[in-house]
Amino acid sequence: MATPAEIEDLIGKMSLGDRRAFSAIYSATSAKLFGVVLRILNNRADAEEVLQEAYVKIWQNAGKYQVNGLSPMTWLITIARNQAIDRLRARRAATSDLSEADAIADPGPGPEALAIAASDGERISACMEHLGPDKADAVRRAYLLGETYEDLAAHYRIPLNTVRTWLRRSLQNLRECLST
Amino acid sequence: MSDEIEQELKALAAEYALGLLSPAEARAFEDLMTTDPDLRDAYAEWVEDFVTLTDGIVPQTPPASVEKAIEAQLFPQSKTVSGWRARLGLLPAALTGAVLAAVVLVAFDFGPKGPEFEPELVAALGGDGDSLRIAASFDAETSVLRVDRAAGTAADGRSFELWLIVGDNLPVSLGVLPDAAVAEFVLPAQLASGAILAISDEPLGGSPTGQPTGDVLAAGALTPV
Repeated sequence: MATPAEIEDLIGKMSLGDRRAFSAIYSATSAKLFGVVLRILNNRADAEEVLQEAYVKIWQNAGKYQVNGLSPMTWLITIARNQAIDRLRARRAATSDLSEADAIADPGPGPEALAIAASDGERISACMEHLGPDKADAVRRAYLLGETYEDLAAHYRIPLNTVRTWLRRSLQNLRECLST
Repeated sequence: MSDEIEQELKALAAEYALGLLSPAEARAFEDLMTTDPDLRDAYAEWVEDFVTLTDGIVPQTPPASVEKAIEAQLFPQSKTVSGWRARLGLLPAALTGAVLAAVVLVAFDFGPKGPEFEPELVAALGGDGDSLRIAASFDAETSVLRVDRAAGTAADGRSFELWLIVGDNLPVSLGVLPDAAVAEFVLPAQLASGAILAISDEPLGGSPTGQPTGDVLAAGALTPV
């Protein structure tokens, strides 16, 4: 695994059009990014397409990397995650007629939410526990399943404004916990 | 800024990072971020925290077809390194000992013999009977690579471009060959030994992409005299 400094160096070279740097960054990071998009999309063909889209973005946006203040792996994973979430939402929109019935019948955290619960980093994990299971689950659903306030409201069967209020409060509590 | 507003903005940054804002709200937040460094920091902080939700996700090696598809999309006209190797492989005669020996002779018999030019490395690009034949010689002392074309002229509206290939790196252009038979290029001495020189057929004035676009017409490795 390449060090953050090495990845940062490769991003800098990519921004100058260095294709060898692209190959190197792909070798060093594609397995992690593929793991993430596969987890989000739970479908290999979609995950392969999204991985391709993500690396095209990474190449095209390498020059903007320095201004966003993120560590290099965070930047790369976030591009892949956002790309996967876009795909997931498009897929959901395309099949909303079918899945609406499922969503209403869904009694609680689905198997996918249970599967993602085990994958947190330690620090956020500890603070998420303080939020309580529903709120922690909602944050994970938003981050790893791309669920919107509408999705969450349907899932927890509470009004949209209510879900927004309690999730915002949860995020403020989470920030407080993470900052201490 | 009051604590309350600051807390609100931090929550907004989290909602933006999670993708919970509507498109219009997200755009408004992006506008705010461009003028407010604290907000940018708040956003970056959230992203760093949320990304740890992926810490436990086990890496999975994607199939090789994905990387090929990406490179084909990003670099549609370029020749990959392996492509170059394959094309150079079509010119095995240029690298055989017999031909090398012959061309070393050519380099000594007909090559330029300025008093200060004492090559340690030579390369033969193209062999007997090839339409393009070039003897290259390199003097590490002066970093001068001298290229002497014994045969071959670029087609009308085309140029010969000289490339240096070091190890597995992509070719680096050394420049377009002038009309004159003998030309000199400057080359960092530490790159020269074992490097491959190649000539490709390019549009007039050289490759527009910075990488070879036309056929490789001749190639040879720089080896000690």
